[in-house]
This record gives sequence, structure tokens and C-alpha cells, in this order.
Amino acid sequence: MKKQKPVDFWVLMTVLILLAFGTIMVFSASAPYAYNYMNGDTYHFLKKQLQYLPIGLFAMFVMANFDYRKLAKLSPYFFVISIGLLVLVLIPGIGRVFNKSRRWFVLAGQSIQPSEFMKISLILFFSYSLSSRKDQLKYFFKGLLPYLLVVGAIAVLLLMEPHFSCAIIVILVSAILLFCAGAKIKHFVMLSVPVVAALASVIIFVDYMRERALSFLNPFADPTGDGWQAVQSLYAIGSGGFFGRGLGKSLQKFLYLPEPYNDFILSVVAEELGFIGVLVVMLLFLIFIWRGVKIAVNAPDLFGSLVAIGITALVAVQVIINFAVVTSSVPVTGMPLPFFSYGGTSLILLLTDVGILLNISRHADYKRI
Amino acid sequence: MSRVNLIVKKRLLVVLIVFSFLIFALLVRIGYIQFIQGDFLRKEAYVQQNMGRIINPRRGTIYDRNGKELAISASVETVSVNPQELLKNTGITLEEIANKLAELLDMEPYKVLTIISRNTGFEFVKQKVDKEVGDAVRKWRDSNNLTGIYVDEDSKRYYPNRSLAAHVIGITRTDNVGMFGIEAVFDKYLKGVPGKIISEVDGLNREIPLSEEKHIAPRDGWNIILTIDETIQYFAEKALESAIADYKVIGGAAAIVMDPRNGEILAMVSKPDFDLNNPREAPPGVDPSTWSGYTNEDVLTLWSTIWKNKAVSEAYEPGSTFKAITTAAGIEEGVITPNTIVTDRTMTLAGRNIDCWKPNAHGTQPFYEAVYNSCNPVFVKLALDLGLNKFYSYMKAFGFYDNTGIELPEGTPVHHTNPKEIDMAVSSFGQRFMITPIQLITAYSAIANGGKLIRPHLVKELVDNEGNVMMRYEPEVIRQVISRQTAETVLEILEGVVSEGTGKNAYVKGYRVAGKTGTSVTTTPGRYIASFAAIAPADNPVITVLVILDNPTGFSYYGGTIAAPVAGQLIEDTLNYLGVERRYTEQDQEMMKNVVIVPDLRNKTVEEAKIALSGVKLKAIVKNDGSGGNLVKDQTPKPGASLYEDSVVIVYTYNPPEDRKVQVPDLANKTISEATETLNSLGLNIKVNGVGIAHKQNIEPGTFVDEGTIIEVDFLYFENTVW
Repeated sequence: MKKQKPVDFWVLMTVLILLAFGTIMVFSASAPYAYNYMNGDTYHFLKKQLQYLPIGLFAMFVMANFDYRKLAKLSPYFFVISIGLLVLVLIPGIGRVFNKSRRWFVLAGQSIQPSEFMKISLILFFSYSLSSRKDQLKYFFKGLLPYLLVVGAIAVLLLMEPHFSCAIIVILVSAILLFCAGAKIKHFVMLSVPVVAALASVIIFVDYMRERALSFLNPFADPTGDGWQAVQSLYAIGSGGFFGRGLGKSLQKFLYLPEPYNDFILSVVAEELGFIGVLVVMLLFLIFIWRGVKIAVNAPDLFGSLVAIGITALVAVQVIINFAVVTSSVPVTGMPLPFFSYGGTSLILLLTDVGILLNISRHADYKRI
Repeated sequence: MSRVNLIVKKRLLVVLIVFSFLIFALLVRIGYIQFIQGDFLRKEAYVQQNMGRIINPRRGTIYDRNGKELAISASVETVSVNPQELLKNTGITLEEIANKLAELLDMEPYKVLTIISRNTGFEFVKQKVDKEVGDAVRKWRDSNNLTGIYVDEDSKRYYPNRSLAAHVIGITRTDNVGMFGIEAVFDKYLKGVPGKIISEVDGLNREIPLSEEKHIAPRDGWNIILTIDETIQYFAEKALESAIADYKVIGGAAAIVMDPRNGEILAMVSKPDFDLNNPREAPPGVDPSTWSGYTNEDVLTLWSTIWKNKAVSEAYEPGSTFKAITTAAGIEEGVITPNTIVTDRTMTLAGRNIDCWKPNAHGTQPFYEAVYNSCNPVFVKLALDLGLNKFYSYMKAFGFYDNTGIELPEGTPVHHTNPKEIDMAVSSFGQRFMITPIQLITAYSAIANGGKLIRPHLVKELVDNEGNVMMRYEPEVIRQVISRQTAETVLEILEGVVSEGTGKNAYVKGYRVAGKTGTSVTTTPGRYIASFAAIAPADNPVITVLVILDNPTGFSYYGGTIAAPVAGQLIEDTLNYLGVERRYTEQDQEMMKNVVIVPDLRNKTVEEAKIALSGVKLKAIVKNDGSGGNLVKDQTPKPGASLYEDSVVIVYTYNPPEDRKVQVPDLANKTISEATETLNSLGLNIKVNGVGIAHKQNIEPGTFVDEGTIIEVDFLYFENTVW
């Protein structure tokens, strides 16, 4: 076996720094919550995060050394299995309901979201398919439409759970993949009309979406009800100022912010470490995105390029939506901050994805820019 | 597999640019939240993250001018809870906490339970409990390591002299905010700045572990030193109380004692009054069974009765006391002199007859005598000579159109809006317009103070807790109303009113009192207001005094008869207390009788006994049984007893029976000498109070008393004491 090239240094470093930083913030943000709801065990979430991390890092290491090109042929199987799981989870008795959503399997005491598998399966399968049928893409019915129908079907399955945020990710990541693969701009413009209409109708006709949408416009209209999460997040961010209250000194994490170690961990960063803290986190993500795009550009083949941009987009879309949610720039939707938020399957799978990205980077030819 | 072509690369770059742009945009957005909205959000967040318990500052003490406490704040405690913190206590149920608190605080357990079960972060359980109770709660809490129960310092108002100067001091509500009187007007100085105990709480209103309570110390209120003198205030209250009883005054009464030199109010009384510690008690004459003291109706009743400060807030017709002002204006303008010959003949003005109270009785007389006699037509004529403009400009100059500026809310004076001559005519002797008592005494003080109108005031100084003077109220001269000379002339005439005229009942031996009587005819038939305004000593004024008795229904309603003696008594007590030296006139000395000791006359001859008695200015009444004995066998009173000079001692030339009783005669309407003679002839002695005609005796007529008993008799001038 010939000696392999090293992985992309920047991607690896930013991810490791984000993981370390995130773990510290998870501990800080979760301590009061854990103290109150986990029998006084302040370290509850830290301990669990430290259990997931080695698994995730191991998965990353494995995938970084697994030739991504082999994934192309496997991707249809992954995809079919993921769809099967998405259907399965909707069946009462198999899928578990938490917070009014049926989106979890519980295996050996561990809750697993099949939607997480869907994300990477979809990226791999679309990349494989697009790279082999690239020339068809310029046609709408023969090329673009089948992908749209598949994405639509998956989105419907996700909305049935409901798992709105995941549906958004799936739609956006797919759109980015199709765009990068060379779909016609004209088609996108044509499509945007029904998509906007569909989004509007979801907001108008799905009750819990509408409430969230309205509270986002003026969270202070009902600060103790629908606006609560947004208001608490703004309080945290506003209290931080430029340098923040200091690490560990957030007050908003004391049962004001909902699950501050998860979707609103950035608010705690803003409160404890101020604008500077948020800036550092975002610069790390920007480096990650920049290197991700660079890997995609330099990938030896279109499959690798699309997988790289798909994984990069998967991270970027989550970062941007999470950032927008905590700053009350979009309606509140449950979107964790990649590498940062506490989370089991999502973290492990994310690191698996990064492993794939790193493997692609090993094959990249930088001189060909 | 296909290769990555140029279109793909371009589009990848577009994706990078879009992602970067969105992240930068959101960085701008978060910067906006942190820097532009930061202050607002921080404050809002602070409000929800911090639970503050107020520590009330100690309310300032109100002192009289000599440092005697009139209103003090007693230290008490307030017990409060954080219901969410209480839930953290293990090993004890809410019910058990409620029961124990109820027991310690003397409350109903179910009530406590309701309070401490509320879904809030702060609740008062009981406010203003005694220190011992607060300590008991503390001890129980600490020994059981309970969290969420707070005992904080608080204060409660207490008035050691109960009703003394009630209307000046005023009261506070339960939350220690002044409600009226100095307590209300100076509330912002008295109350101080509250402190706070702030603790950080979580989203469920429970204290955050390890967070420290922040204490912001309260700043205690400033103390107030009044110009009121507790002792003079007491004299004034006593004087009014006995006047109300003696003269059956049913409309209330007021008295003010002021230092004319600097405007300081030494005493201010309004009756009926109330106990400052229990201000909402049913006023006299109100059925207590239907009384709460808190309903709108009850509070209106309180304001119109016991809470009303008649001395400041109620306008009345001053009556003849106002003639001093007309006099001052006339003399200042040179329209009249004390010796100008005037007549009290009935005069007709605008079809109305104006008579003297004793029509045409005084005839022609010098002006000063007309003031002594209080002849109305003389003042009408004087006012007409002054003219409308001058007359009313003096009324304004003496301050009757303005508030005096005293610290308490003043009543509104009522004047003719477009006065015509007939209005001025009745105004010249104080009728058909209304002013407040404080306005009148301020005008009198100007006469006493060489013509300078001085702002009356009740507060001398504001002092902080360390004794630093924070504010001092200096005498404020408003204007020179009349010249010093005019003022002195008016004073002289007013002195004559007391020494020779209608104000004789205010005469005080040893002090020269100037004053003027007043009997206002109100618009309510049968209701009169008797008043007396005085300045003393006339040669060097130290005090001005105004006494007002509203609607006396006893034997007389005339100011000269019933208000003047009250003022005289008050002046005597006050000047005596202030240490003003008495200078007796010869007349005074003649009237003053010394106390002498009765000598032992037994076994002396009758002649020897008479000589011994006259040696100590006592008179003898000899009683024999006809047996012709000349030796004194017994005497009444016994040797060693004290008697006034000119009293009688009965000497017996026989052994009299043990029980020698005499029936007390009715002395009503007798002069001093008549009364003395009547009593002496019966073997009784007299103590004379006042001058004039007897109107009251301390032992009822018809009572049997021992021979030699001293009967105390009050005398008053009746005959010429009408207006």
C-alpha cells in the first residue's frame, strides 16, 4: 500500500479546537440544568459528552483512512436503509416520542435519530448519482425533477415526525449539491416560486410553526410565552457585551435558557465570553468552511467534490441556522451547533462525516487550483 | 467518474461566498444585540435574575425645638419568604413551616400556608412585628437550617405624646409614607433612601447556589427639629381643653403661639384632636359600631373633624380682632391719631344702619378709647376716610390675600371680589370676609415686630443622623407693612384694650399684654366665634397669641369674656416658662396677696389675738357664747395653717362644738369685694382668680364645708366685653 498523503491540517485543527471549546461550554452551560434535573450531578452532561467524543473521534479516524471512493457504490444501500428507518420510526411502538415528536429509536438505553443517518446517506447517494448522471442534470424532467421528488419525499417523512429543522437541512443541502453539480439556474428560479409558496403555507397552516414564526417577529410581545426562548437568548447575548461575564458566569443558564447546552449554547458563549467568544467560534467555522470548499474544489473527482461540499454545507447550514436562531433572526427551531452542542448520535455522525471529508482531502490535488 | 469541471468550481466558490456572507451578517447582528441593545437587555435580564428585598431606612425623628421627641420610629421586623426557596427544604413540609410561622407570628395557619404556597419569588408573611418576634423566627429558621425565610429590619412610627401637636406632626400610613402634617410635607426628607438585599435567582425564582447576597445599605431619613415648644404646646392644649369644657365650645377651637421676632410657631393647637398612635379612631359623637376609619365616608368624616387643622386650613371671619389692622392702616396713612376725637353715633351707609354694640353709649371719645370700646361706627368711618384703594392695599400688605407660606396646607381666604364701600365698611370691623388664623397671627406679629411681616414657620432645622445640619430655615421678612412708629402706636392702643378696655380678662399681673377681642357673627344664626389676639409683653414683644373658640354655647359667646381669659392664662404660662421677668405695677402689687401663717391665739385675750392677727394682715371674727369670757379657747383655722392676707380667722371665747359646718353661698355675679365680704361673714375664706364679676366657684353653692375653708372664685369682666 502506497504511503498516503496527510489529511487537511486546517480542517482537523478547527474541528479539534471546536470540540474542545464546545466540551468546555457544554459543561459550563449544562451544570445548573444537570444540578436541578439530574439529581444534583453537575457533571452529568459533561460525562456523557466525554463518552461520545472518543467514539466520534474513533469514527473520524476510521473514515479518514477509508477510501471515500468505496462509499460511492455503497451509497444506494445506505440510502435505502435510511429511508426504511425513517418510515420505521413513524410507527408507534417502534419510534419513541419525546417533546411531541416521534423521531427516536431507543437501543440499549441509547436514543438514536434515524434522521441523522439520512443526512449523510443523502449526501453520499446524491453525490454518487449526480457524478454519474451529470449530463442529464441540464434537463428538468429527466435530470432535476427525480432528485426533487426524492428530496420532497424525505422531507415529508421528516415532517411527519415532525422534525422540521432536519427537513430544512435536507432540502438546503440537496439544493446546494444540485447547484454545485451544475443544475440550471433557470430551474432554480422556476422552483423557488412553489418552494416559497410551500414554506409560506407550512407557516400558515401548521400551528406550532405559526406560533414560532410570530413570536420571532416580536419576541417581547409575549416574553413569558411564545417569545420566552428568543427573549432569554437575547438577554444572554445582550448581557455579554464585548468581553462577556467571564467563563462559567452565565446567569441565563440557570434555567432561563431552554437546554442551554444544546440549541442555545451559543447564547451562553455570548454571555460568558462576549462578542469576542462568538467571533472566535465563527472564525473557526469560517476556516472549516473555507477548507471544506477548497477540498471540494481540489477533489480528484466529481463524487469527492460533491461529498466534500455536501458535508461542508451540512455543517455550514446548521451553523448559520443555529446562529440565526439564537440571535432571533429567524423563528426558533431546534438546531444544534455542530461540534459544539451536546449531542450523542449527531456528534458521532458529524465526526464520521468529517472523517470522510478528511479522507477526500488526502486525495485532493492542491496544485490544480 | 467525471472530473471536477470549471462550472462546479465556480459554483463551489459561490457557495463559499454565500456562507461567509451569512456568517458575517449574523456577526453584525449579534454585535448589534450586544452593543446597541445591550444596555436594555442587561437591565431586563437583571430584573429577572435578581430578587430584591427592600430594607426600609429608619424614618427621621421629629423633635420639638428643645430636642424632645415628638415622633420616633421604633425598630421592628418584617418577615417574608421566597416560596420557591421554601420548596428546597428537606425534612419539613410546607404545612409544618406554615404552622410554626403562624404560631410565632400569631396568625392563622391556613393564611400563612396560602401565602407561602404562592407561585412567586417573594411574599410578605407579616410586616412590622416586634424585634423579639423577629428574633424568634430567626432562631427557629437558623436552628433548622431552613432556606427561603427572611427577617429584615423595618420601622414603625410611634408618637410618645399621643395627641400633642397632632395636627402639626401629622401621621404616616402603614408603609411609612407621610399622610398629612409635617410627616407628609417633609416626607422626602424624613423617609431616607431604602436599601436592598439582592440575591441572584434562577428561572424558577430560587436562589442560585454560592451566589452572594448584595447589601445596599439604606440611608436613614433626616431628623426634623420643629419650632414648636413641647411645654408651650402643652399649655395651649390645656388652656383650650378647659375653655372647651367651661364655655361649652362645640365647634372646635384653635390656638397659635408665635414668636413675632422670627416667625417661629411655638405652639399650634386645633381641637378636636386625635391620638397620633390611633388616628383612625371614631371622632367624638360618631357611632363606633359602624365605624371602620378606612371607608371613603369615614375618611371624609375624619378630615372634617379630628384631622382638620383649624389653625391653618380653615378660614373664618376674624371679627373685631381685625380692627387692629384697620387701626394700623389709619395711623400709618395719617388719617387718624390715637387722640382724634371720634363718635360712635349710628351711621347709615347704603341704606344700612351701623351701630356700636352699645348703640350711642360712648358718645364722642378719643380714637384710642373707641378701640378700647370696640365701637364699630368709628372703624367704618376710618375705613371710608382711607378709601377703598388704601384699605384693601393694607389688607394685601398684611398678607390676607396670600398664603403665609407656612409648611402646612393652608385654607383659602375668602374676600369680596369687587369690593364696594359697604363691603369695606363691614370688613373694617372684621366681618363678611374670611381669613385663616395663621394669617391673622402673622399680621399681628408684624405689628409686634416693628411693622415687618415675617413668614411663619414650623421647621427650624433638618439634621442627619450624625447631627450635621442639612438645612436650616432662617427668618424671612416678607415686607415692611407699616412703620416702626405706627407699630408702636398700635401696640400702645392694644395694650390699653387689655388694661382698660374690652380685653381686661386677658390681663396678666406683671406682664404688659396688648390685644384685641373678637366676636364673629357667622352666617349660621346663633353660631359665634369668640377670639382673642394678643401680643406680649407690649413693651418688648416675645410672643403673639391667638385663641379661637368656635361656637361656644355656655354662659357667654363673647371673645372678651371667654377667649381673653384663655389667652391671658396662656400668655402668663408661656412668658413665665420662657423666663420673661415680671414687672408688677403698683396696681398689680395691691391686688396681689401674700400667704401668711395663722398664729397660735389660744390663751390670749381677745385684744391680744386681734393685734397678733392684724400684725400678719389677717382679720378676726370673735365668737362668744355670751358667758363674757375674754380668753381665746379655740380658733379656726388652726395655728400653722396658711391663709391669704385679708382672710378671716374665727376666735372662740368658749369651747365650740366639734363639728362646725357652714353652707357655701352662691357668689355668682358678685364683685371681688362683695364675694369676699359674703364669705368672710360666714367664716369662709376666698382665693380670687382674675378680676371682674364672679362666674365660677370651686365649691358648689349649698355645700356644707368646715369653717375657715378657702373657696376659689373665678372673676371675669362681663359688662363691657362684648365685641
